[in-house]
Amino acid sequence: MMSFNKRSILFLWFIFVFTHGWVLAEDTKGYLSVTGPCELEFPEDHASHPDYRTEWWYYTGNLKSAAGNRYGFQLTFFRRRIIPSESEKRWPAPASAWRSSQIYLAHAAISDLDGKQHFHAQDMGRGVLGIAGEFRDNDIVRIFLKKWSTRIGPKVHQLKVISDPFSFELNLTPVKPAAFHGEEGYSQKGSTPEKASCYYSLTRLDTIGQVTLAKKTFAVSGLSWMDHEFSTASLEPGLVGWDWFSLQLSDNTEIMIYLLRQKDATIHPASSGTYVRSNGKTRHLPRHDIQVTVTDTWNSPDSGAVYPARWRLRISSPAMDLMIAPNLANQEMGTKESTGVTYWEGSVSVRGIKKGRRINGKGYVEMTGYAKAYDAPLH
Amino acid sequence: MKKHLGRALTVLLGIALGAAVFTSVRLSIHAALDSFTRSMDVIAGSADRVMVQPGGRVPEEWVAKLMQFSVVRDVSPVLTAYVRLADKKSEPFLLIGLDPIMDRSFRKWQFSERTEEDVESWIELLKRPYTLIIGKSLAEKYAVYRGDHLFIEHTRQTAFFSIAGILSPGGLAMAEGGMIALTDIATFQELTKLYGLVDRIDIKLDPNTTSEDLDHIRKNLPDNFQLGAPSAAKESGQGLIRAYQLNLSILSFASLFVGMFLVYSLVALNAASRRHELAVLRATGASPHFLFLVFLAEGALFGVMGWLTALPISTILVKYLLKGVSQTISILFAKVQVETLSLSPWEILLSFAITVFTSSVSAVQPAWEAMQVSPNEALEISRHGMTRKTSPRKLVIGGIGCLFLVVPLSLLPGILNMTLPGYFAILFLFVGFSLFAPWSLIQMGHALSPILHRFVGIPAYLAGRYVRDSGTRTAVSVGALITAVALFASLVIMIHSFRSTVELWAHQTVSGDLFVTTKMGEINRFRYPLPRTVVDGLEEFSNQVDIVPSRRYSLTYNNFPYEFQLLDIHVFLRHGDFVWLKGDPDRVRTLLKHGKGVVISEVFSNRTGVAMGDRFRARIESSLVELPVLGIIRDYRTRGGVVFYSLPQFNIRYHDVPWGGCRIFLKDRTKNPEMAVASLKNEFIRRWGDTLEIISGQALRNTILRVFDETFAITIVLLLIALAIAALGIATTLTVLVLERSKQLNTLYAVGADFGQIRSMILWEAAFMVVAGELAGIVCGFVLSYILVYVINRQSFGWTFLYEVDWGALAMSLPLIILTALAAAYPAIKMVFRESPATLLREN
Repeated sequence: MMSFNKRSILFLWFIFVFTHGWVLAEDTKGYLSVTGPCELEFPEDHASHPDYRTEWWYYTGNLKSAAGNRYGFQLTFFRRRIIPSESEKRWPAPASAWRSSQIYLAHAAISDLDGKQHFHAQDMGRGVLGIAGEFRDNDIVRIFLKKWSTRIGPKVHQLKVISDPFSFELNLTPVKPAAFHGEEGYSQKGSTPEKASCYYSLTRLDTIGQVTLAKKTFAVSGLSWMDHEFSTASLEPGLVGWDWFSLQLSDNTEIMIYLLRQKDATIHPASSGTYVRSNGKTRHLPRHDIQVTVTDTWNSPDSGAVYPARWRLRISSPAMDLMIAPNLANQEMGTKESTGVTYWEGSVSVRGIKKGRRINGKGYVEMTGYAKAYDAPLH
Repeated sequence: MKKHLGRALTVLLGIALGAAVFTSVRLSIHAALDSFTRSMDVIAGSADRVMVQPGGRVPEEWVAKLMQFSVVRDVSPVLTAYVRLADKKSEPFLLIGLDPIMDRSFRKWQFSERTEEDVESWIELLKRPYTLIIGKSLAEKYAVYRGDHLFIEHTRQTAFFSIAGILSPGGLAMAEGGMIALTDIATFQELTKLYGLVDRIDIKLDPNTTSEDLDHIRKNLPDNFQLGAPSAAKESGQGLIRAYQLNLSILSFASLFVGMFLVYSLVALNAASRRHELAVLRATGASPHFLFLVFLAEGALFGVMGWLTALPISTILVKYLLKGVSQTISILFAKVQVETLSLSPWEILLSFAITVFTSSVSAVQPAWEAMQVSPNEALEISRHGMTRKTSPRKLVIGGIGCLFLVVPLSLLPGILNMTLPGYFAILFLFVGFSLFAPWSLIQMGHALSPILHRFVGIPAYLAGRYVRDSGTRTAVSVGALITAVALFASLVIMIHSFRSTVELWAHQTVSGDLFVTTKMGEINRFRYPLPRTVVDGLEEFSNQVDIVPSRRYSLTYNNFPYEFQLLDIHVFLRHGDFVWLKGDPDRVRTLLKHGKGVVISEVFSNRTGVAMGDRFRARIESSLVELPVLGIIRDYRTRGGVVFYSLPQFNIRYHDVPWGGCRIFLKDRTKNPEMAVASLKNEFIRRWGDTLEIISGQALRNTILRVFDETFAITIVLLLIALAIAALGIATTLTVLVLERSKQLNTLYAVGADFGQIRSMILWEAAFMVVAGELAGIVCGFVLSYILVYVINRQSFGWTFLYEVDWGALAMSLPLIILTALAAAYPAIKMVFRESPATLLREN
């Protein structure tokens, strides 16, 4: 028996979006495909690209309160086109205002790193009637889902989340230009050209705002990261999950790495990364430049999944040898009380040596497919 | 018991019948109530509040607006309508339109099996227009599967749907017994053309929401919106069904009550025939309390055994009753679809307890008599029968006391919307009349014996004398008959009065030659107005007919459901009328035509307390209506009260409302009106048959009366069972009397009486009892009918009716009861000389 409750619908959603959508190679006919240069321009490309099947806006960050307590946060908006635009022509005429080809989903989390607690929430809605969607006003783009939103202005991104376990309102000011991954944002995720996404990041955003937790509201400040990615392609068969790293180093540089894990525990050749210099210029990190070794694991008491819990990251150029450790062991998303989707998304700290000099930093890591293959968002 | 096996079995049968009726009725209504409650619960889901517009719908933009309130956690828009399979002309089933995503935290639904395809079933509702997920019961009924197509007919249009999945029982699929289908809100709006509107918005609130928070939301809503509790409709429906449950329980209890007389007669016989044994027991040390308990236990044992015997009878009876009760509840109060009988331990325990209790109570008096046996009697020569008899005068005084209580109890208001004082009045009425039975038998024996001696002969004389002297036991059977006859007579009077009044109402208020509504208009509470093209088309016939347009709104007044009906009063009163109860009809008609006020039904008045001269206040869509109550009328629609107001005046004073339906009166009725009506109907069907329901006034009125008769079918069955138990009582009593007097009867034979005379005597005894029971029963029945019409009906349903006695039916049926009761004497008569007189006399 399958219960159609809050938990399972999100499970179904993920299965549908990410398993069925990416892995089972659902028919992509009628959707726009990413096959070459993305030619991203702003503010237009901060907005949604509704003719592609899947898109997300993703924020993470490490914050500190005035009292010195450390917090990690995550906010992700997903957009999914459920039918190709051609199918809209077969809608009844006149069509109900509820008829929509777009569905929005959002995840949010707060990691109370000193309190050693992880809170998460999620929501979902169709992109109609002010329930969810996108609002554009000149150079401002607002992506929203019910009471959650990100308002992307030319200078500031305003994030707002209201949920039962926590709420936050944050103002994020980019201090670097957008970093385009792959070839000018064309980020290949497989062996063929169409297995790709358009992908850029704002890798360093000064953040201030307030967080409400356990009915207490307090001011916070820190650094955030923003990703925006859209695609139509399906994932290649044989993949079991992925590990994604976003690291902000103390020398004002950043690193993004994604590793596509295969059934035989090897890393798919399409895995890669981006190094962002202090001046904002990027350098593509091909697979062979990246070496990640897992040095510890953590066993989730909720899902039973065994996640890597400490990594040694070595990059040949620019040369660096970094140790990455979670700031809180349990930052697993979903599980019992939420989606049924189980993945780990959490705040990490970085220590190591870069070009012979000691360095440190903070960041976020996402790991999927450890509890069950392909049950979490591709990043 | 062993000593009187045949009699004991008869008594057991009586008790078993009574217990079976009671148990089946309780279980049936419980199942219906349970089904209704579960259905309402799963449809209401886990909402904390519901936003509606009385009489109208809510604009869909309020979905997003509501979400902006800080205490609002989730919202879910819902639309519902009854639809049916067009090609199969099936029974209507409920189609629910919702947003599967927003609704996920409000209601649970399950797929029948988890397959790869099922994973996507819900999203199919969004992806593909005109897809639905159907309940398993519905799928099984029409043998349809995933991927099949259904041709679904709604008031507004008929469309093909594709089945995206099957729901298994559980959660929302339990609503309406599984006769349910879910579709996406977009598809629902497109099917029903309700663009931009939803029936209601369910709201989930922050658990810490305060009344101030709710007030804040209310202040920000337009005046015509209400933020109510989701349970309001359920509680209102439950209240009505529970009142019906009480009524039917009391009626079914009458069978047990009649059975009490049987238990009494047998335990009393045992106590009397074992008097010498009792005296010996007392002499050897048994306490009076022990004897009391022995006989009380005998009564209780009858109860236990009777209840056990009732179980197989109940299993048969409950199947019939379940169907009847569900139909009646669906007609009267709320649609219920009972698929399975839920056996409530509480109901089973209740029926057991009531059966054992009533049987035990029946044994109290004989047990008390047994307590009085003196140990000295052990030394006396054995003799049959009680030596101590309760004085008939004492019983009469008790009876008068009970009857005196009847009037004040009848005047008391109901308790918690239940007519308990009224039912106690009935109980005291029965007890009072039954206590009169010994006295009336003595008086009858005194008065009639000499006359019968002269005109009929010795057997009738002896019978009169015997009945006079036979004591309480004969009176007990008469008491049972009084109860059964009283029930019969009163129900005959009540049902006749009710039916005549309903008939009058149907002919005056439900007058018209043709009634035009939207397809499935009634089941969907007339929420869909007639298409403009139809209204224009109808007006083309205005040279031949008078058209009375109407619009009906299903509303609640302090949680009481009622209908606000707008009617072109002016035209209506040219052809029909209301059945007036209060107010000067001429004056009220004039004021009503000019929109100076409303008339309300008696039910509405009794239920809400709104009286003539009060101001009626209601929110009708965007208008706040506040008008004086000009008069009170009789109205017998089944789901609450009704308030009438002038449609043209409403359009002038408040806002324009489209026609929900209309009734048509022929202008010229001189030339074969039936043919003219048939011709019009055919023309309407030709033009608008696919969107309208067109029914002739005569057919509609016939339907009303048929529904009325069906509603009382269960009542009549219960009544017949009570009568059958009373007949059993007569048979038992006479048999006991014959057996007790076998020596006396055989002596009569020995001294020269022939078989025919002795049998004639027994028959006369039976006739005395039956006539006495029937006469007293009729008197009791008349009083009871007043209580039923003016107390029980008013308190239970809010209506009364014009009191009218069906003399014909009474005159026909009462002799039949006499004949039936006399037929019950047959076994006793046959038993008189089962053994040869010589043998009996020799043995004695």
